[in-house]
Amino acid sequence: MIPVAYNLRNLAVRKTTTLATAAGLGLVVFVFASVLMLANSIERTLGRSGRPDVAIVLRKGSDAELASGIEAQQVSLILGNADVAKRPDGKPDGVGEIAAVILLPKLGTDGESNVQVRGVPDDVMAFRPSVTLVEGRPAQPGSDEVIVGKAISGRFKGLTLGQSFELRKNRPLKVVGIFADGGSSFESEVWGDVHSVGSAFGRQGSMSSVRVRLLSPAKFDGFKASIDQNQQLGLEVLRETDYYEKQSEGMNVFIGALGISIAFLFSVGAMIGAMITMYGSIANRQREIGTLRALGFSRFSILLSFLLESICLALIGGAIGALASLAMGMVRFSMVNFASFSEVVFTFEPTPGIMLGSLAVAVVMGLFGGFLPAVQAARMSPIKAMRG
Amino acid sequence: MGEGQREGKKPIVELDGVGKTYFRDKEPVVVLDNISLDIEEGSYEALMGPSGSGKSTLLNLIAGLDRPSRGSARVAGQELSGMSDSALATFRSRTMGFIFQAYNLMPVLTAVENVELPLLLTKLSRGERKKRAQTALRVVGLEERMNHYPRQLSGGQEQRVAIARAIVNDPRIIVADEPTGDLDRKSADEILTLLEKLNKEFNKTILMVTHDPQAAERATVIHRLDKGNLS
Amino acid sequence: MSLLSIAARNLLRNKFRTIFTVLGAAVAVLAFVFIQTMLTSWSAGVEFAAKDRIATRHKVSMILPLPKRYADTIREVPGVKHASYFQWFGGVDPKDKNNFFANTAVESKTVFDIYDEMVVAPEDKARWLADRQGAIVGAVLAKKMGLKVGDRVTLQGTIFPGDWQFNVSGIYTASRRSIDQSQFFFHWDYLNESVPEPQRDQVAWISARLDDPTRSAEVSAAIDRIFDEKDVQTATMSERAMNLSFMAMFSAVLSALDAVSIIILVIMVMILGNTIAMGVRERTREYGVLRAVGFQPKHVGLFILGEALTIGVLAGVVGLGISYPLVELMFGRFLEENMGGMFPYFRIAPMTMVAAVLLAVTLSVVASLIPAYRAAKLSVTDALRRVA
Repeated sequence: MIPVAYNLRNLAVRKTTTLATAAGLGLVVFVFASVLMLANSIERTLGRSGRPDVAIVLRKGSDAELASGIEAQQVSLILGNADVAKRPDGKPDGVGEIAAVILLPKLGTDGESNVQVRGVPDDVMAFRPSVTLVEGRPAQPGSDEVIVGKAISGRFKGLTLGQSFELRKNRPLKVVGIFADGGSSFESEVWGDVHSVGSAFGRQGSMSSVRVRLLSPAKFDGFKASIDQNQQLGLEVLRETDYYEKQSEGMNVFIGALGISIAFLFSVGAMIGAMITMYGSIANRQREIGTLRALGFSRFSILLSFLLESICLALIGGAIGALASLAMGMVRFSMVNFASFSEVVFTFEPTPGIMLGSLAVAVVMGLFGGFLPAVQAARMSPIKAMRG
Repeated sequence: MGEGQREGKKPIVELDGVGKTYFRDKEPVVVLDNISLDIEEGSYEALMGPSGSGKSTLLNLIAGLDRPSRGSARVAGQELSGMSDSALATFRSRTMGFIFQAYNLMPVLTAVENVELPLLLTKLSRGERKKRAQTALRVVGLEERMNHYPRQLSGGQEQRVAIARAIVNDPRIIVADEPTGDLDRKSADEILTLLEKLNKEFNKTILMVTHDPQAAERATVIHRLDKGNLS
Repeated sequence: MSLLSIAARNLLRNKFRTIFTVLGAAVAVLAFVFIQTMLTSWSAGVEFAAKDRIATRHKVSMILPLPKRYADTIREVPGVKHASYFQWFGGVDPKDKNNFFANTAVESKTVFDIYDEMVVAPEDKARWLADRQGAIVGAVLAKKMGLKVGDRVTLQGTIFPGDWQFNVSGIYTASRRSIDQSQFFFHWDYLNESVPEPQRDQVAWISARLDDPTRSAEVSAAIDRIFDEKDVQTATMSERAMNLSFMAMFSAVLSALDAVSIIILVIMVMILGNTIAMGVRERTREYGVLRAVGFQPKHVGLFILGEALTIGVLAGVVGLGISYPLVELMFGRFLEENMGGMFPYFRIAPMTMVAAVLLAVTLSVVASLIPAYRAAKLSVTDALRRVA
């Protein structure tokens, strides 16, 4: 077999061409990896909002919290269900909340965008222990104070610690704290007192949704059956994880379809680039190939050698692209969640799988780009090659 | 060369103390040391010498492809050492015809188009250019091959096209760098006969670098170079 | 024969490479055209927004309703020609829940005074006004769902629970590109009569047309001033500003697409530059000959530029040639049918075509600058000595 060092040296000799081609391939890998990282972040951000032992109750047919409505007396009925876990103080571990959206001027653009506002009860932190305040203090129960998720803080007018915005005329809501929740979509929400939010949105006595923590994830089917059984309630029950997965689906299809079709077009371009380079490389080395053939190397080992060269070229590009895409981790990407009509901030989250997958894409591009040229090299007759 | 000629008119090439030094990795390499040489108009002279003796460099200096590092080179009445690149290019297009060892024809152009190439620099009309190119091809005896591409021609024929290209702008001097180097004996002889004809019938000054003694013998004067000096 | 024609002929020497380079760059042109069309289509809502149309909504949130009587007040405001109110319905097709389309309850008498660019046949309009459950369906949506006049349609309410029956009374087409042709309109009265008492007489927004488009800011401010003292405050803005807000929600996607556009251009330069550099490398000796017979350095540069230009023009033309059927017939139709709200008119703009060809040409010139400069700078003797 022809040593790989031969190919690597050949790539090194033609530095400019190698770099231009590798950079082209690298850009494709960069775009590809970024799209996957974003899709992963969408899934994870919404996925982290759902917990396996939590069930969410909505009005039947409403699909999302925003359109849903549940009467106050139904809320206590749901919380009283036997499958709902109890807190140490004996209260059921569940919350009735109001979900709403408000339009606020989006900083850095000419327009306004929707921000999700959640009216939460006083004991919300007990229900969501993963939520921590990173700045400021908790809101006073029953007051016009709110806390803002850290992902969205600073991206809209008024959503910065110490600033305020209006839900009703002359009743400004003041931001007193910034909270974090391990990168979940709650970090893109504004949390205010359930009564203040409720009255501002004309929903006194009615909640958008009820979430309950079950004694165990396995209790879900029983819980669902007992709610469904009472047809008069007109409610539907979903696992919280399923609910958010469904929300991420819409966005992921959008980002994925857009991103993958662009990355596909790109990869065709880059493969053609690699092909041109490999053909050039072979045209320049006819004599060498002839000599190798004359020395007794088989057609197959020449084919292999040039394929390897092409793959090395692609891997160089792929590594550059994959490394560069890691820098996207610093970029925050906000997009409208089609289910809640409000903005959710995402990041670009890499995984080892995405990195390996991107390198694999590079290898495949190198393989396809290098195949025809390598076949041509292998088919070259020693005599003709020597003359060339 | 008789005394009378020398007094009658000035030589077309006058080199006085010409030297050429290249720098390779900052190390100076003296290719031409100190050359003084006159060539009369209408003569046919050969430059011989072992590889690395500087004969091609000397030819390039006279042809205006390169400038001397020191000394004075007057060719066709012009001092080349101080000329700009573009002035040198104009000088070459008006005064010089080139013949190379590897013919150096453009593979995408037919014989007649190859010959026409230097005329693109002139203000001649399209028809006039074509007429002149055909005339030049007739001189080298390839008129009937004018629409062939270089790959359809033999080596000797290619070199004759190259000669036609060299004379199409009616230069005063033709420089030939190993014009027979890639050819068999028979083709080489044809080329040498053609050069002789150009020298005698068209009164072209010909300067030829060669290491082929048979080729050199056709010339009226043979200069020998060794280690950057005329011997 | 001229230098330019020789340059063009040089491209035929390595037909394969030229074809692939043109293809590679053409794919980049395609990606560029696709993304630009997406961006222009997206901004069509802003670009083609009616200048004499303004909309009034609740000041705080799009989910909060306005009292229906506000429409009458607005009609009295000086400068307002017509006004009409609307309510989101948010129904889904129970047979295909993933088929999203806007469905809106409208004020029947006035809606087409406001949206006169929606073209409805007079007999369809008459039939609609006579049928309480009548609906007017966009041509694109009708085609997609296979609806024709006289068909019965059931929509499942998400905001207004239950199954709602409609009769297709007519189909509308659009005479302006910013109009989404996959909307579904029905009588607001039908909705209002069917919802529970507390939800009666509510509308989501009120659109108005003005006598004088230049006064839209003034009239908008006047409207908001009237309601500022009432219990529900309003925000009124021009159609253009509203559409800008919609774009602001996707601003991250838009900037990502812009970034990707630039990446495409870089890849294109790399593919072109690589090929041109390879050609130049192979032909260095010929450039030496050209210089020897008296051509100036600038001639050599122009010669290489000529090759690049030819490739650029070919790439631009071929790229447009592939883009046209792909974008207009495949992507375009799909997006108009499925995402009509975002891409009401997904066609290649003439400006995009011009830009694509100009870019291909410009980039090919840019890509050839360095090789051309180097070749022009090369000393004649070096160039002549060079073995391809």
